[in-house]
Amino acid sequence: MSIKYQTTMNYTIDYKELLNTSPCGYFCSLPDGTIIDSNKRFLEFTSYEREEVIEIKKFTDFLSMGGKIYFETVYVQILNLSGAVEEINFDFIRKDGTKLPVLMNSVIVKDTEGRHLFTQSTVFNISQRKKYEQELLIAKRKADALSDELKHSNKELHRSSELILQQKLQLEEFNHHLENKNRQLSNFAYITSHNLRAPVGNLKSLQDFYNESTDMEDRAMLFSKFEKVIGHLTETLNELIETVKIQEDINIVHDSILFDTVFDKTVEILEGQILDSKAVVTSNFSEATKIKYPKLYMESIMLNLLSNSLRYRSPDRVPKIHFSTKITNNEITLLATDNGLGIDLKRHGNKIFGLSNTFHSHPDSKGVGLFMTKTQIEAVGGSITVQSEVDKGTTFKIVLKKSSSY
Amino acid sequence: MLKKLIARNNITIHGVGKKPMLMVHGYGCDQNMWRFITPEFKDDYQIILIDLVGSGKSDENAYDYDKYSSLEGYADDIVEICDALDLKDVCFVGHSVSAMIGALAVLKKPSVFKKLIMIAPSPRYINDNHYLGGFSQKDIDELMETLDSNYLGWSSAMAPIIMGNADRPELTEELEHSFCQSNPAIAKHFAKVTFLGDNRSDLEKLTTETLILQSKSDVIASIEVGRYVHNHIANSTLVILDATGHCPHLTAPNQTIEAMKKYLL
Repeated sequence: MSIKYQTTMNYTIDYKELLNTSPCGYFCSLPDGTIIDSNKRFLEFTSYEREEVIEIKKFTDFLSMGGKIYFETVYVQILNLSGAVEEINFDFIRKDGTKLPVLMNSVIVKDTEGRHLFTQSTVFNISQRKKYEQELLIAKRKADALSDELKHSNKELHRSSELILQQKLQLEEFNHHLENKNRQLSNFAYITSHNLRAPVGNLKSLQDFYNESTDMEDRAMLFSKFEKVIGHLTETLNELIETVKIQEDINIVHDSILFDTVFDKTVEILEGQILDSKAVVTSNFSEATKIKYPKLYMESIMLNLLSNSLRYRSPDRVPKIHFSTKITNNEITLLATDNGLGIDLKRHGNKIFGLSNTFHSHPDSKGVGLFMTKTQIEAVGGSITVQSEVDKGTTFKIVLKKSSSY
Repeated sequence: MLKKLIARNNITIHGVGKKPMLMVHGYGCDQNMWRFITPEFKDDYQIILIDLVGSGKSDENAYDYDKYSSLEGYADDIVEICDALDLKDVCFVGHSVSAMIGALAVLKKPSVFKKLIMIAPSPRYINDNHYLGGFSQKDIDELMETLDSNYLGWSSAMAPIIMGNADRPELTEELEHSFCQSNPAIAKHFAKVTFLGDNRSDLEKLTTETLILQSKSDVIASIEVGRYVHNHIANSTLVILDATGHCPHLTAPNQTIEAMKKYLL
C-alpha cells in the first residue's frame, strides 16, 4: 500500500518511496529484537535480501559478540529506561562478512497503556567518519601511553633523585671520615717524625758523650744507655707500625696506661739531653696514676713537653722540670712545669699553639710540636692551656679527660 | 562512616516496609535500572539501592583500580554497607555481575543475608574446556573496541563533569538526566573485571536460599549458564522467564516481579 500526499506546491510525495530512498537505514523491531519492517537502505547496508531479514533476524544478529554485549549491557538498558537511545556506534557484520560502521538512534513506541509495542531505529553509515575516528583513537591511545610513560619516567626520576641525595649524604659522610683520617695521618706523620727524631737526637748526644769520655766505666755506662735508647727506638718503631694497622680500622684506640711507665720511657728516650743539660727531672703521679688514653698520643705529648722544657731551658740556672697529675671536677689533668726561658704570652698569646710558630730563636725549633700536641689532646676530647712568665718558667696544663671514663 | 558510604555508593532508601531488600545493578547501568521493579515491593520492604563505585552517581574518586580489580572489592563494599546500616535478614537482589558480587558478599558474611536473588547470573563468560560461558577472549576484545568507539566523543565532552567542573552546571544537569553514564576508563576496567573473571568455584560454597531468574534467550548469560549456576548452588531455585535479553527486569518487569514475589512469599 502506498500513501500519497499532495503538497501545497503541487508535488506528489509517495511516503513509501520517500522512506525507501531516504539516506539513512530505517527498521522497526519487536521488543524481543525481531525486525518486522525496514526500508531498502537498511537492507543495502546489511547486503541481505528482504526475505532473509524481515521477521527472521534480530538486530543483534548483525553484531559481533562484543557488540552484542554492548547492546545488552548499555543500549538495552538506556533504551528501556529513557525510551530512547542516541548515537550508539555499532559495527554491522554484512552478509559477505565485511563490517560497516553505523551510528544508531532508537525510540520505543508504546500503546496507550504504556506497553512497549515496537522500537523504531535509524541507522547512519559512518564509514568515512569512522576512519578519522580510528585515527583519533590511535592517537588518543598513543597519547595515553605516552602520558603513562611520562608518569613512569617522572616516578623513575624522582626515585633517581632520591638515590642521588642518599649518595650525596653518604659521600658527605665519607668525606667527613676522610677528613678525620687525614687529620689522623698528619698526626701520625708528626708522631713518627718527632718520636723518632727525639731518640735519634738522644743517640747523637750519647755518642758525643761517648766520644768525649775516656773513662772505661763511663763508656760502659753510656753503652748500656745506647742499648736502652736503641731498644726504645725499636719499640717505638714497632708501635708505629702497629698503630698504622690499627688506624686503618678504627679511629683512636684507648689503651690502659700508667703515667709512671710512659714518663720513665720518655726520660730514658731523652736521657742524652737530660745528661747534657744537667736538668733535674721529677714527677708525681700519685693523684692519678693511670688513664685510658691512646698510648702513642700520651707518649708523644710527654715527649714533646719534656723535650720543649729541655730545649728552652735557661742557661742561667739548673733546669728543673716537674710532671704531675691532678683530679679536678672529675677531670684528669697533666701538669708540666719548668723554670726555663718562659714565653711572652702578651706578645704571642694563643698563637703558641699555631702551626709554624716558634717563639724562640732556638736552633732546634720546628714550630710544629705544640700544634700537634694540641691537636692530639683535642682529638681525644681534652684541652691544653699555658701559663708562663718570661725568664721564670712555663706550666702547661692539659685536661686529658673525665676521670669517670678511665 | 555511614555518611561516607552514602556518598561513596549513592545509597538511597525507599519503601515503607521493614524487611531489607538490597538491590544492586549490573555492568553498564546504575540503580535507575530497578525503577520498574521497586514500586511493587515498596509496601513490604525497605528497599536499599546503591550504585557500585565507578557507576552511576557513586563517588568516582573512590574508584581504586587495585581494590576493584576483582569482584571481591565490590563484595567488601556490600558487607560494609550492610554493617553500616545495621541490616539483618537481607534479601539481596543482584543483576548480572552483581549476582556474583552478591554471592561473594554472602560468603563473606552469611549471617547478614537471608535470601539471594540472582538475575541473569554468569560465574564465567569465557568458554573453558567443557564449560560454555558463551564468549572467547576475542569477543571481549571486540567489546573493548566498541567501548572505545562509543566513548570517543564522550570523553572530551564529559571530561569537565568528570573533573568536577562546578562552574558549568548545565553539563552536570545533562549528566543527571542521562542514564548509565560512567567514566570510560572505569567502564573499560569494570568490563574487563566482569567479563574476564571466574567465580565458578564460589557457587558450591553457597548455602543461602537462592533464586535464579533466567531469560529464555540471553546472549550474555545463556540458559545453559543459568542451569550451571542452579546445579552448583545447593539451595537454589531456577525460574526461566518468558523474556528475551539480558535485562528481564527492564524488558519483562511484570514477569520478573511475579517470579520474585512467588519466591519470597
